Amino acid sequence: MSELYDLLQDINILTLLLLVPLIGALLTFFSGKNEKAARLLPIVFSGLTLVLASLMLLGFDFGNAGINNYQYVEQYDWVPSLGITYHLGVDGISVPMVWLTTLLCFLAILFSWDVKNRTKEYMGLMLVLEVGVLGVFMTLDFFLFYIFWEIVLIPMFFLISIWGGPRREYAAIKFFIYTHIASLVLLLAIFAMYFVAGGTSFDMIYIQEQGMDWSIGFQVMMFLALFFGFGVKMPVVPFHTWLPDAHVEAPTAGSVLLAGLLLKMGAYGLIRIAIPTLPDGARELQWLIIIVAIASILYGALASLAQKDLKKMVAFSSISHMGIVLLGFATFSAVGIAAGVFQMFAHGLITAVLFMVCGVTQHIAGTREIPKLGGLATKMPWFATFMMIGFLASLGLPGLVGFAAEMPVFFAYGFMNGAWNWLILIPIASVVITAAYYIWSMQRVLFGPLTEKIDTSHLHDVSWYEAAPLIALCALIIFFGLQPGLIYDFIRPVAEAISALVPMGV
Amino acid sequence: MADYTAILPLIVLAAFGLLAPAVRILGKSDKATAIWALAGVLISGFFVADFFLSYPPGSSVGFEGVVELNYFSALFMLLFLSVAAYVIIASLRYVDKERHTGEYYALILLATTGMMIVASALDLITLFVGIELTSLSSYALVAFRKTSKRGSEAATKYFIIGALSSAIALFGISLLYGVTVQFPEVLVGSNPLTFENIGAAVSAAMGTPAEPIVFLAAVMLIAGFGFKIALVPFHMWAPDVYEGAPTTITAMLAAGSKKMGIIALFKVFLIGLIALKTDWELLIAVLAILTMTVGNIIAVSQTSLKRMLAYSSIAQAGYILIALPIAAVSDPAVAAYGLAGGFFHMITHAFMKGGAFLIVAGLSKVAVGENVADYKGLARRAPWIAFAMLIMLFSLAGIPPLAGFWSKYVLFSGAIDAWQLNDQNNWMFWLAIAGILNSALSLYYYARVVKNMYVEKGPQDRVRVPTAMAVAIGICFVAVIGIGLYPQPFIQACIDAAHAFLGI
Repeated sequence: MSELYDLLQDINILTLLLLVPLIGALLTFFSGKNEKAARLLPIVFSGLTLVLASLMLLGFDFGNAGINNYQYVEQYDWVPSLGITYHLGVDGISVPMVWLTTLLCFLAILFSWDVKNRTKEYMGLMLVLEVGVLGVFMTLDFFLFYIFWEIVLIPMFFLISIWGGPRREYAAIKFFIYTHIASLVLLLAIFAMYFVAGGTSFDMIYIQEQGMDWSIGFQVMMFLALFFGFGVKMPVVPFHTWLPDAHVEAPTAGSVLLAGLLLKMGAYGLIRIAIPTLPDGARELQWLIIIVAIASILYGALASLAQKDLKKMVAFSSISHMGIVLLGFATFSAVGIAAGVFQMFAHGLITAVLFMVCGVTQHIAGTREIPKLGGLATKMPWFATFMMIGFLASLGLPGLVGFAAEMPVFFAYGFMNGAWNWLILIPIASVVITAAYYIWSMQRVLFGPLTEKIDTSHLHDVSWYEAAPLIALCALIIFFGLQPGLIYDFIRPVAEAISALVPMGV
Repeated sequence: MADYTAILPLIVLAAFGLLAPAVRILGKSDKATAIWALAGVLISGFFVADFFLSYPPGSSVGFEGVVELNYFSALFMLLFLSVAAYVIIASLRYVDKERHTGEYYALILLATTGMMIVASALDLITLFVGIELTSLSSYALVAFRKTSKRGSEAATKYFIIGALSSAIALFGISLLYGVTVQFPEVLVGSNPLTFENIGAAVSAAMGTPAEPIVFLAAVMLIAGFGFKIALVPFHMWAPDVYEGAPTTITAMLAAGSKKMGIIALFKVFLIGLIALKTDWELLIAVLAILTMTVGNIIAVSQTSLKRMLAYSSIAQAGYILIALPIAAVSDPAVAAYGLAGGFFHMITHAFMKGGAFLIVAGLSKVAVGENVADYKGLARRAPWIAFAMLIMLFSLAGIPPLAGFWSKYVLFSGAIDAWQLNDQNNWMFWLAIAGILNSALSLYYYARVVKNMYVEKGPQDRVRVPTAMAVAIGICFVAVIGIGLYPQPFIQACIDAAHAFLGI
């Protein structure tokens, strides 16, 4: 235990992580007519949150990082008659996610410097969203988890429906109701597990301990419900249809947070709750998880290939990449789980770049239609660099962060015991498709002769507030591509422990 | 000398109500009359609160075997008094400059007295008197603006339907009376219609030729009370009446009168007809699911906000009703938890739906229409009122961490609890599923209002809701947020109330 850890524990760092953006959001909402304050306050507060999260990362105690060894724990009674507590804590899986959340929120707010329509509401909602996502990643109480899970929906609904594209109303309502239904199924499963565990406590650790004794039938039923609840959020085929709509219509920063963080919530729920609490259920349904994962990988890649809208292509590629996360989890092996979690982290960084690049394209060129674009690299060299780094990282170029996540997943699955590991050929073939759609679109957008289908006289390179987040993200993509071990060190002990719970890993 | 603790709150409220017209005539001021009425509510509330403070959970004080103050009836008396309080405060500006305000406040207090009688009644006749007191006062209140065509039409409809349903319920009561006197050996005391005696007689009647009569009485009571609480298929009158009535009165009908009807139903079925539960529990469950589904589906297509909220009230009554079959299970802890969910939802619904209607009332006072489309751009015109509406609607939809989320949570989890209790009640599971799917459906029309307020562009001018109405809205707003952030005392109070209700 370091001194830093003790210090952070003393100041209740996790509560502070929730409070700082919340206070920032309130101040922003009430900042009156001062446009400057509405821009600067969110940057300051999200920046402060990022600093706090970084400190938390540094103070993490690696000597004590197994499963159920949560750190910086805080626990207070909230509703004792139902056994609900305010219980926060982080472990090796949540720490990278918390840090990613604060990073992406800070960069997305910075990227939104030029939002002019109802600035303070926009910025305030982003901070509220940050509170919700952080809460999901930090809470250890089922009930609190559900509350944060639902809180996330509301700012995203407004972000899409007020600042979104032409079909924003349809997309926002569809997103809201689709994911709300999934949440409600999740809630049902939470009820059932709570009562079967004795009806006295919503504590995740307590319910997880009880879960060991549950019958296979009950576990399978609960796992199906949780898998649906989390799967819609990830999203997995066939529950993905809200995602392309929501992504295409959302404002850029909204898309960054949606893809970078909200999708991770689904995957996080699976690995934090569903698999450790219901290991037998997970094992029984391994075939289903594998089929869904592979279907998502393949379908996402094929659909991306067919898109004309750059942003829609990126949206579908998210489905494919979240499928890789799921495939990693489906192996139940330490390597697979660790790589799946790392893929969550990597995809968060990469997809942020991709959506920011799409936003810049829309903003500068006025369209995202790939056939209308071409030769942008000549006029926008910085833009072209960012786009190439993002695309190459996403298609899994060695040395970049995506490769360090995908490769171990494929290894883990390919070398798994089981009759179905030859199916690995499908994800591997999908990687080829992924490379195809990225390189093909890059070629059409960036290279070749300058397009004549749009007015190119006003083309200029990225602005400083767009460049700064992109530079930071690209640097991190390269850095963690070369040093993935820094993050794997957090994840590995927990992944090993979870894998040990499911008696079949490799 | 008799102990007047139990009846004192009722006497105080009725006395203040009866004197209100006199205060209006002598004081010549609407404001003084409203303050008089509010004082009556507060003094009555003081006596109820005094009971809470001086007696531990589980205790009860009766009065001549007619009414009883216990942790259940006291809780609902406080609820009805709170509803009366915010309705009176809002009315201070809503019905000013109109005639007969003395009678208006008098009727509100008498209606509230009736609701409190229902909450504390120990026998069917007292219960019926309470219902009639409330109903008759409400008919007149709905017709308060007698020059308004819609108001008069609504009142006529309400009166005819109300009288019919009272007659049906009364017929059911008389059938029960006929059954109970057949079994004098199980009766205690001189009154054959106390709920205890009905319960004893009905279980004695099982298997005798009197059984079909009891069954017929149960059907009559479901129909009679079903009209009062607008259960599907007895709901047709509700949207017209809610739309036509002065909106403050609509708030009272939705938040107060409807809860009274539900309590009457709970009392009759859970205490009087519990021996018959295998016959009615599935019927009630089907009615509950039907009510919530029909209410929500029709609400989706409404363009008038008041009608939409009326249909949403129908749906909410469906949610509350699922507590009835859950509370009939044999395990007392599970039954109490399920019933507590129903009680809790009645409490939160009183504030969130009442608050929503008050917002409609307040905005109509400053020339904002009552259609969903009239709320376009409201977030800019009246930011706080729009935010309050957002909170009310999201709470109705069950978005955490607002009050409506907690009460729906306790309610639906009660169904899951009853389901996992034993295998025979497997259909209990579907109560929770139906509730949850309906919540998702309702989100659609609530979100549409929110979208109109926050996303659409509308008129630019600022509007200011009259202060008195803003205060009343503020009460509901604080209640919805407060219960949401710290539900513990309310859940505990509902559990205590459920224990008192079931006598465990």
